[in-house]
Amino acid sequence: MKAATFEYVRPTHIDEVVSELARAGTDARIIAGGQSLVPMMAMRLVRPELLVDINHVSELTGIGKNNDSVCVRAATRQADAGRSEIIARVVPMLAAAVPFIGHNQTRNRGTIGGSLAHGDPTAEVLLVAMALGVTLDLRSEKGERSVNIKDFAVAPMETVMEEDECLVAARFQPAPTDLRVTAVVEEVAPRAGDYAILSVSAEIGLDLGGFCRHLRLGVSGATPVPFRPHMVEIALADSLLADDEVDDAVHLIDPVLDPESDVQASAAYRRRVAPGLLGRAIRTARDRAVVSLV
Amino acid sequence: MTDTTPRIYVSTKRRPKEDGRFVSGAGRFVADIARPGMLHVALVTSPYPAAQIINVDTSVAAACPGVVTILAGPELANATAPLANAVDTPGVKIFPLAQSTVRYVGEWVVAVAAETRAMAEDAAELVEIDYDPMPFVVDPTEALGPSSPPVHSDHGNNILYDRVFTWGPVTDDFTISPHQLSFHVRWGRSATVPIETFGVIAEWGAGNQILDVWASIQMPSYPEQIASSLKIPLNRVRVHYDVDVGGSYGVKRGIKHTILVGYLARKLSRPIRLIEDRLENMTGGDMHGPDRRFDVSVAFDAQGVIRSLKLRALEDVGAQTGRAPFQLGKPVSAIVGAYRINSVEYHATAVSTNKTGQTAVRGFGMSPTNVALEMAVDKVARYLSLSRLTVRRRNFIRAYEFPYRIPSGSEYDSGNYHTVLAKARDLSNLDKLLARRDAARALGYVAGIGLATCLEPGGGNSAFEPLLNPKNETTTWPESCAIKVDRTGRVTATIATSSSGQGHQTLVATIIGEELEIDPDQIQVLHSDTLSALPGNTPVASRMAIMLGGAAAGAARKIRERVIQIGAHNLGCGLDDVIYCNGRVVRVGYGGQFITLDHIALIAHREFHNLPPGLSEPGLQAIHVEQVPQGGTLPKSDGRVQMYPCYSFAAHMVYAEIDRLTGKVSLEDYSIAHDCGTVINPDIVRGMVIGGAAHGIGAALYEEFVYNSAGQLLSGTFVDYVMPSAHEVPYIRVAEHCTPSPLTSHGQKGVGEGGYLGAPAAVMSAVNDALNPFGVECLELPLRASKLADLLAEAE
Repeated sequence: MKAATFEYVRPTHIDEVVSELARAGTDARIIAGGQSLVPMMAMRLVRPELLVDINHVSELTGIGKNNDSVCVRAATRQADAGRSEIIARVVPMLAAAVPFIGHNQTRNRGTIGGSLAHGDPTAEVLLVAMALGVTLDLRSEKGERSVNIKDFAVAPMETVMEEDECLVAARFQPAPTDLRVTAVVEEVAPRAGDYAILSVSAEIGLDLGGFCRHLRLGVSGATPVPFRPHMVEIALADSLLADDEVDDAVHLIDPVLDPESDVQASAAYRRRVAPGLLGRAIRTARDRAVVSLV
Repeated sequence: MTDTTPRIYVSTKRRPKEDGRFVSGAGRFVADIARPGMLHVALVTSPYPAAQIINVDTSVAAACPGVVTILAGPELANATAPLANAVDTPGVKIFPLAQSTVRYVGEWVVAVAAETRAMAEDAAELVEIDYDPMPFVVDPTEALGPSSPPVHSDHGNNILYDRVFTWGPVTDDFTISPHQLSFHVRWGRSATVPIETFGVIAEWGAGNQILDVWASIQMPSYPEQIASSLKIPLNRVRVHYDVDVGGSYGVKRGIKHTILVGYLARKLSRPIRLIEDRLENMTGGDMHGPDRRFDVSVAFDAQGVIRSLKLRALEDVGAQTGRAPFQLGKPVSAIVGAYRINSVEYHATAVSTNKTGQTAVRGFGMSPTNVALEMAVDKVARYLSLSRLTVRRRNFIRAYEFPYRIPSGSEYDSGNYHTVLAKARDLSNLDKLLARRDAARALGYVAGIGLATCLEPGGGNSAFEPLLNPKNETTTWPESCAIKVDRTGRVTATIATSSSGQGHQTLVATIIGEELEIDPDQIQVLHSDTLSALPGNTPVASRMAIMLGGAAAGAARKIRERVIQIGAHNLGCGLDDVIYCNGRVVRVGYGGQFITLDHIALIAHREFHNLPPGLSEPGLQAIHVEQVPQGGTLPKSDGRVQMYPCYSFAAHMVYAEIDRLTGKVSLEDYSIAHDCGTVINPDIVRGMVIGGAAHGIGAALYEEFVYNSAGQLLSGTFVDYVMPSAHEVPYIRVAEHCTPSPLTSHGQKGVGEGGYLGAPAAVMSAVNDALNPFGVECLELPLRASKLADLLAEAE
């Protein structure tokens, strides 16, 4: 478990990052927190010839908010996102997801952008990004472009990022401020902090009458990459999210599910549990919102 | 019987001697030892479960930077003798590197020695091996059949051991019993997973012609096997015991690793180190424990009194034998658990398959058997609609019946099972727990209470060796301690083992302190090496409190006797006129006239003229080699045998809730009452009990080495081989009871295994109590969440 030989550079500006990537061609990898990349290198599952360390690029760190979006820069630590007041207030689903990302120790290193760029379908950050329709800003020596998350993660461990591109930031739409908004993440994992077998997320906004005016959902673990179940969101729009409504609506995802079996759980288990777990998340979020209405 | 002996240090809460060095990072593990000019080894392993090796091409690898040598199987096999087999299977020949055939995925084929481990790995990737895949077998039941490909073709079939033992009138007892139940239990392939993987350094001394070995080892007969396989005299092998071992509980065997580096060290005249990485450890190391299937039948009456038990145990030992089949032998020592079962039929079969070889794990095969036994008791209770406590109480051996001989021949030394069970019941607040369970059920939750008891045999004779292999006539398994009191009166003890966290220095210092009435913190305890050590058999089988404790007490008592002789002589009086007290020999009735241990030590070392007549040996030292209590006899022809001297007991009670949707099991409340006789160090005992339970929770709910039908290991990393963390292990309440052993120096028994022996059965009991209202059951470990959820879904 020793990595194959590689070169290492540690630029301090994003221009240098992209020029290093351009110089190296296909065999470079960006390292930020290294929580996934380093074990994969140690097992020689990946063997980059050049590692571009972005931990000293200050432009790539930080969380900011303007009128129409919250911008989480790529090298922002997961732990920092979990502690951010802006995230807690404006992107509550991400705040709810952070405790499920590994453990405190790994979150102190692991980054939001690293999770997205790595493309691991079990990553909670990817689940949230998918549910919230995040926009990603990418940059290379050739220029900048923005990609919606649903066009970004195309297959397990596979994104549309070119080899010379660096993920710069993820831009989230703020949750509505005129509603009671709550967010819940539910997960089945062998143990706390493990790779999820299934995970779901729900962010809801209730008006003063208790009607659901805002609903964002995500489901992970039962399809090759996480997905946002628009059909459930539409079915429950403007409802009171009554138990039977929710329990009926979550089964609209059934035809979409295409899970696989592994050591921890069968495909049948994933197919059966995914809608139930989504229903649980919606009901839990509803109950919390209702409590806050009272 | 209760223990009211007044004591100074034994049973007193004192910080273990080892804590300081571990907490401050001052431990010395194999990876901390660097020898000048040391080379590092990486391994090329088999990707096939069975294949012929057609060709090995090392030319490209050999040209890599830093590579010193590349070794393949035939050269090593020509120079060494095969590794030892436990049972009598001469057709099974194992060498560290495969010769012409590979037998499991991960088997070592080629070793690369280079200046650094990374260089060795770089070269290992470039070794080219051509294989011709062969038929293989993964399922142990299939492996039994005549049409199965044999894992070891020279052995002819896959049955390594097969014997039916009958102890008592089993047929009659089944005939006269009004009720019978039969069922299957499965124990999944799991293990102890140490923080530190196995590591070893070997160095051949050109000057002294000694092979020095530093290893992360917990293995009986380790130096003997090194000498025998490398064909060098035993007094040229020096295993250093002053190496801290970062966890073991059975698995730190590493004999093939040691033969490999031992051979290379001699060949290259350079020190060689092999430290497994986690992948090597999990796939090709000594890491897989019991993998067992049981068929169980019990015969009982309307009161739930069990008369007879039939147990068929099929053990899948994988492709390398080692001591693995012996793990079917230790359960014979307590085959009826805590119960007065009149007769037993035990059919033990060890079968080889194309999987990683099995190694010893905590309890040495007892924990799976205890699951089978405890599920039988639970089933009897459920069948008769009796409480599980009641059925246990009715079947328990009574306190007045000790010493009690069980049908398989072992005599239990002492115990009070009814009292310990009552303590567990009270500690768990069972009535409240029942109310909580029933309230949870009323709200639609899946909730259950688990109960299990277990016997923990300790201090063994290794009597399973002659039992399972008649060519082996082992009837003793001694342990030693040497004590010297230096000229200034300071005490140093030497022990013949390394430690993997059990606290042997604390044990020995506490017992010597107790006997000599001096502060254990002032007593030095050293781990020696095999050339200077007296006989020892390593800390296996919950034996050290009993055996090393006995050795330390024996040596200390010899010192004390000599001190009293010298003291009385120098006080000018007879032996009957003095007492020994707080490190002084005091003359009774003379105003407290005394002489100190320090002074006596000086006399012993320097003032021969002041020694009493008849004491012709200067100095103040003693050795003691402890024979196993109750040991010394071979098994009888029907397999009856006294295996272990001391029997600890524990009762676990656990409350579990299962998420009906996801199947996730949450252990909400956990209590253990246990009796290990006299406690030497309370913190160490508590750590053993709670740590053992955590280990057992892992086997119960999470851990399994899973193979697919292609013979590939699917859970070879911690992503899929899941151990419980602090999140999963609940707070565990512990109550103690003390029934001293009449056979040991201070009444102590073993305690290293009981937590692990009780927890899997207790958790399985809780889960099945929870599933019971749904009309389903799960008797397969681990009880994965997905499996339980699938069962609950089917039931609905």
